[in-house]
Amino acid sequence: MAAINYDNELRRAGANSTQGWRRLAFLAQRHMLGTIGLFFMVLFVWAAAFADLISRYDPLSVDSAHALAHPDMRHWMGTDSFGRDVWSRIIHGARISLAVGIGSTALGSLFGVSIGLASGYLSGWVDLVFQRVTDILQALPLLVLALIMTAALGPTLPNVIIAIAIPLIPTVARVIRANTLALRELPFVEAAKSIGMSETRIALRHVLPNTLAPLIVLATAQLGSTILTEASLSFLGLGIPEPYPSWGRMLSESAAEYVRTAPWLVIFPGIAISLAVFGTNLFGDALRDILDPRQRG
Amino acid sequence: MRGVQALAVAAALSLLAVPSIARAAEPKQGGILRVYHRDSPGSASIHEGATYSVNIPFMPVFNNLVIYKQDVAQNSMDSIVPDLAESWAWSGDHKTLAFKLRQGVTWHDGKPFTSADVKCTFDMLMGKSPQKFRQNPRKAWYEFVNDVTTSGDFEVAFNLKRPQPALLALLASGYTPVYPCHVSPADMRTHPIGTGPFKFVEFKANESIKLARNPDYWKKGLPHLDGIEFTIIPNRSTAILAFVAGKFDMTFPTGISIPLLKDIKTQAPNAVCVVEPTNVSTNIIVNSSAPPFDSLDIRRAMALALDRKAFVSILFEGEGDIGGTMLPAPGGLWGMPKEMLETIPGYGPDVNANREEARKLMQKAGYGPDKHLAVKVSTRNIADYRDPAVILIDQLKSIYIDGELDVVETANWFPKVARKDYALGLNLTGNAVDDPDQSFYENYSCGSERNYTNYCNKEIEKLFDEESQETDVAKRKKLVWEIDKKLQEDVARPIIFHGRQGTCWQPYVKGVTVMVNSSYNGYRYEDVWLDK
Amino acid sequence: MFAYIVRRLVLMLVTLFGISVIIFVLLRIVPGNIVDILFAAAGYVDPADKANLERELGLDQPIVVQYLHWIGGLLHGDLGYSFVSEKPALDEILPRIPITARLAGLALMFSASIGIPLGVISAVRQGTRLDYFLRVVSLSGLSLPSFWLGLLILMASVAMFGTMPLFNPNPKTWTEAIAIYCVPAMAVGFRSAALTMRITRSSMLEILRQDYIRTARAKGASEATVNYRHALKNAILPVITVIGIEAAFLIGGLIVTETVFNIPGVARFLVEAIRWRDYPIVQNLVMLIAVVVVLANFTVDMLYALVDPRIRYTD
Repeated sequence: MAAINYDNELRRAGANSTQGWRRLAFLAQRHMLGTIGLFFMVLFVWAAAFADLISRYDPLSVDSAHALAHPDMRHWMGTDSFGRDVWSRIIHGARISLAVGIGSTALGSLFGVSIGLASGYLSGWVDLVFQRVTDILQALPLLVLALIMTAALGPTLPNVIIAIAIPLIPTVARVIRANTLALRELPFVEAAKSIGMSETRIALRHVLPNTLAPLIVLATAQLGSTILTEASLSFLGLGIPEPYPSWGRMLSESAAEYVRTAPWLVIFPGIAISLAVFGTNLFGDALRDILDPRQRG
Repeated sequence: MRGVQALAVAAALSLLAVPSIARAAEPKQGGILRVYHRDSPGSASIHEGATYSVNIPFMPVFNNLVIYKQDVAQNSMDSIVPDLAESWAWSGDHKTLAFKLRQGVTWHDGKPFTSADVKCTFDMLMGKSPQKFRQNPRKAWYEFVNDVTTSGDFEVAFNLKRPQPALLALLASGYTPVYPCHVSPADMRTHPIGTGPFKFVEFKANESIKLARNPDYWKKGLPHLDGIEFTIIPNRSTAILAFVAGKFDMTFPTGISIPLLKDIKTQAPNAVCVVEPTNVSTNIIVNSSAPPFDSLDIRRAMALALDRKAFVSILFEGEGDIGGTMLPAPGGLWGMPKEMLETIPGYGPDVNANREEARKLMQKAGYGPDKHLAVKVSTRNIADYRDPAVILIDQLKSIYIDGELDVVETANWFPKVARKDYALGLNLTGNAVDDPDQSFYENYSCGSERNYTNYCNKEIEKLFDEESQETDVAKRKKLVWEIDKKLQEDVARPIIFHGRQGTCWQPYVKGVTVMVNSSYNGYRYEDVWLDK
Repeated sequence: MFAYIVRRLVLMLVTLFGISVIIFVLLRIVPGNIVDILFAAAGYVDPADKANLERELGLDQPIVVQYLHWIGGLLHGDLGYSFVSEKPALDEILPRIPITARLAGLALMFSASIGIPLGVISAVRQGTRLDYFLRVVSLSGLSLPSFWLGLLILMASVAMFGTMPLFNPNPKTWTEAIAIYCVPAMAVGFRSAALTMRITRSSMLEILRQDYIRTARAKGASEATVNYRHALKNAILPVITVIGIEAAFLIGGLIVTETVFNIPGVARFLVEAIRWRDYPIVQNLVMLIAVVVVLANFTVDMLYALVDPRIRYTD
């Protein structure tokens, strides 16, 4: 089973070594692409965490005297039509993207896990009801649901996060349910039952931890797609509004007007989105190889 | 030497120009004009719409009683020409406006046009007929019309409650077509019937609007085009790329921002582009019925903090106009002269001095460097609204006001404003005709539906009536300036700037005139032809 | 098998009923309705006019009555009238379906015909430079915002050929007809192709490790026979599932692609209808999409049974 092979995998991957860094070096060598992905992700998180220190200007501060400045020593990535520093906006944009990515993935996973766990472990009518709920959510296309949700809730950061999170629920719930169903039949759960452990306790203490590996794999894979969904929403005019520097909006709005006259307004946000998503995807792949060898590719 | 060369080039150019003018005198017949449209209008009925998304595609289907001459860029009383009316006359007391109608005109469905159609149209606009429009946004235009009477099939008279010379200007707008009596308002929304140069063919929502030449048009030899096709492309990048790729003969009129225009110029150097004022003002609606903006001091401080030049330079790369309510010269007819404008607080050239004064007012009201005033700036989720709001928030920082942008979906914007659920709102106000009657009554009169701020000043109201009845243009102008100045000083609805927009067409498109003081009146397109 | 199919059909109906309720309620929670939007465009609010219009459109009735009215109509094949165009909703939706269907079909074909072979190659050549290259390319396919990919294609087309494929209901030449469908289909299919490739690859790898493949090899079957006759046949199952799931995701991609390429299909129409709060259009379109997705999932399960005789639906 997925989670149980975890240790095997680590041992094979250099876990015999007692020094942690050597183990890491081994892993890095084995998963070159994953390491590159991890590098981008660390960069991304680092930018988001220290945005105020790294960025050189207030990302919202308008300066008409320096509008549309070319990239130079003052403004590494130039300025936009408002004279706002693009570098600072990209760096602060990492925060927005991270908030959207992690926020919606976490929210979606939380509900997905609860539904999946309850549905898989309790079965019976609870399972039947939850299965229908996931069926319903799955039959509504992700972007359509997100569009209606942002229209309903209004395009603010928390609302966009919720709107992107809801369509993630069924995917997570399905995977967790399948895992739970399999785990329920395993001897250690039987053993726990026989010593009189309560059902809830078994579910939370024994079943849940063992579904973590596939969950992490799934969540990392979703992280990138949530960032892209926000970009698509921005393109359709329903993403995170001004003045927040959302990468999706920076890209989609300047693509219309500045692709030739001020290409830096298009290039840098485009690179930022693609690298962040590419990084999480690479990392997600490697993580899947390590944690979930059943699906290894 | 260089001078001589320049002269030679100029001479060569003028030589080139002559034959092209000569050719312009003999328009070619035929061809379909392909235009992209920025969005899908809610319906095909001009009377029920209030955006030029409706006027542009449907004005060619209709005629008015009178119309602004389509090849004169500046709309004025002098450029009004007969249309369905052959002539008009004011009575001696200026309380009756009589029209003699053209005979032998038929609707696109073959029925004859008569005075009854005119009466029907305006009765419906005044809300007097049993048939009702679903929406009637310009009902207020006819507030001073008592009734419309007919005498025979080809004479019609507007009887006024009091003199209103500007009525003629309102009747000449693209917003004022004559509708047929025998077609219901519902049918006019889906399949409009007019008397105009083009017949309606089809309107597929979000897809296209097609018009075809009216072979029985009462102006012989017109229109030149076989038809007009509007393809609806909401995505600006795609629309511009398609224009550059030659898929369209013309862009959506007055729909191109200055940066976008630059982009087109680099990609399609042959395209003919003009940039003209749209007579759409960007303004701030202030909720003066609740703190903090119930305080005149804070309102004044906000007005003083505005750096209008910075707005214009960021959003229009300098190509915008600064003025009061009325569009300033050279495009506008009624704008205050520059010297007068600069005496209004906030319009003076020294921004720093203005802001110093503003900070003093703020301190008087109890705010300062240690105690900022937090305010929400609400606006619609459309770039034309959002972008100025971003700049406004940045400028307000200089006077201890921390603005937070509150972006509102279109559907929720008017209900929110009507509920007075805002402090500051950034708003765009389009003026259909460059005439003070339209803009003053609509936006500042007590109880008007479009007076979003509920500004109400009885003294100014009297002045409105005075200027409205004034028949001497020079005197009226003086009055209008005085009113406009007072409105700005009262911070009723501070005007930030008047925008300009670009229109481009391929070099073979001839006979397009983009109006300089309205973006609602110049789309009849009967004179447009293709030199292909 | 028969009992299973009946059960599935009943569950499908339950799902569709749930969707109809959710979409109906969700739409009416959204603040602002068509009347607000129409009046926003008109720039004024007159309470009496507003109330009149709401009555005319039946928006003043209790939500349960509105719902029953809709479902009742649906059962009689009456989809109601579009609030905006005032035409029958069916007349608005029907002509747009073939456009989107063609686009989606082409995109799926594209993703299968590119994704499956590349996935197989990548798996067979696991660990080689080619494998790495294909994996990176497929991952970058999943990393580009789809609207950006579409715009890049259009820009490149204008820059290189001076023209671009803009939708035209009556294409003049057959090359134009191909271009206006294939280019957007490729833009939207790129993502699914990347996904299909990844799934094919991992599914192939798993199969290649199985005992019976080793047995086949040991018996002296040629490399090609092993890879294509034995492995691919079994690896295709998860790929079918993913293509089935992709069909639902495709709608999202189509919304963006139809917007970028200005194609008047149902996907973009849905977004516009949401923006206008054109309830009859949104409700019916979402139901249509739901029916398609549910049927797609059902078909995938049935295909499973066909492809893999080990699976028997007996419960």
